[in-house]
Amino acid sequence: MTEPLATVIIVAALVIAGYGLLAALRDRPMDRLHLAGLTVVEALLLAQAVLGLVKVAGDEGPAETATFVGYLLGILLIPPAGAGWGLLERSRWGPAVIVVAGLAVAVMTVRMNQIWSGTVA
Amino acid sequence: MRTGGGPGRLLVAVYGVFALAAGARAAVQIATRFDEAPVAYLLSALAAAVYVLATVALALGGRASRRIAVAACSVELAGVLVIGTFSLADAEAFPDETVWSGYGRGYGFVPLVLPVAGLVWLWRTGRKGTRTPA
Repeated sequence: MTEPLATVIIVAALVIAGYGLLAALRDRPMDRLHLAGLTVVEALLLAQAVLGLVKVAGDEGPAETATFVGYLLGILLIPPAGAGWGLLERSRWGPAVIVVAGLAVAVMTVRMNQIWSGTVA
Repeated sequence: MRTGGGPGRLLVAVYGVFALAAGARAAVQIATRFDEAPVAYLLSALAAAVYVLATVALALGGRASRRIAVAACSVELAGVLVIGTFSLADAEAFPDETVWSGYGRGYGFVPLVLPVAGLVWLWRTGRKGTRTPA
């Protein structure tokens, strides 16, 4: 797994989660910066998916290949789903959805790192 | 009051994440090593199906959906309590973790909190229809 990229993804996801929390606490709906942030995270995840699949195909993958690929592709659903579901709500609970999406991406990326290094089944 | 709006939107988002997590996990377990622990993996699949059902029912929030959501949340609560207890008492029957193992400790105990939050939310939104909104 590409660790610098994973680190960037975790940081970006936590930043967007923090920005969502800020808006939720200030009772503001989602704005364009939330969407832009999610778009950046999704682009990073796509890059990670491509790199990860190439590595797995090149026999560099972890023992738990299926689980790893599941995470690699499943995580791609989170930012678009979060953006769509959050946009439907024009209240503080829109950005609250973004907080969940950001945290989910961060946690899943940490799990992927663990699966890659074999510290977790 | 609709169950998918306001704070309910957050609840549905968390449910969605768990539907994805449980569904992907069950799919991988059943596809790659079903023979090792068929009971645990079938329970994983059941848990995933219940999460998907709860997510969709809470998001839609009609009268029928509300009943389905109550049922799904109740099954979840029963599941996490029963499977949690069994997984601790008879670890050999559950050689691999499911979302409900150890009361959901592998997922920060969110699986234990989520059905309770869902039922409380359904109850509150159900009563709000007859009162002036807070």
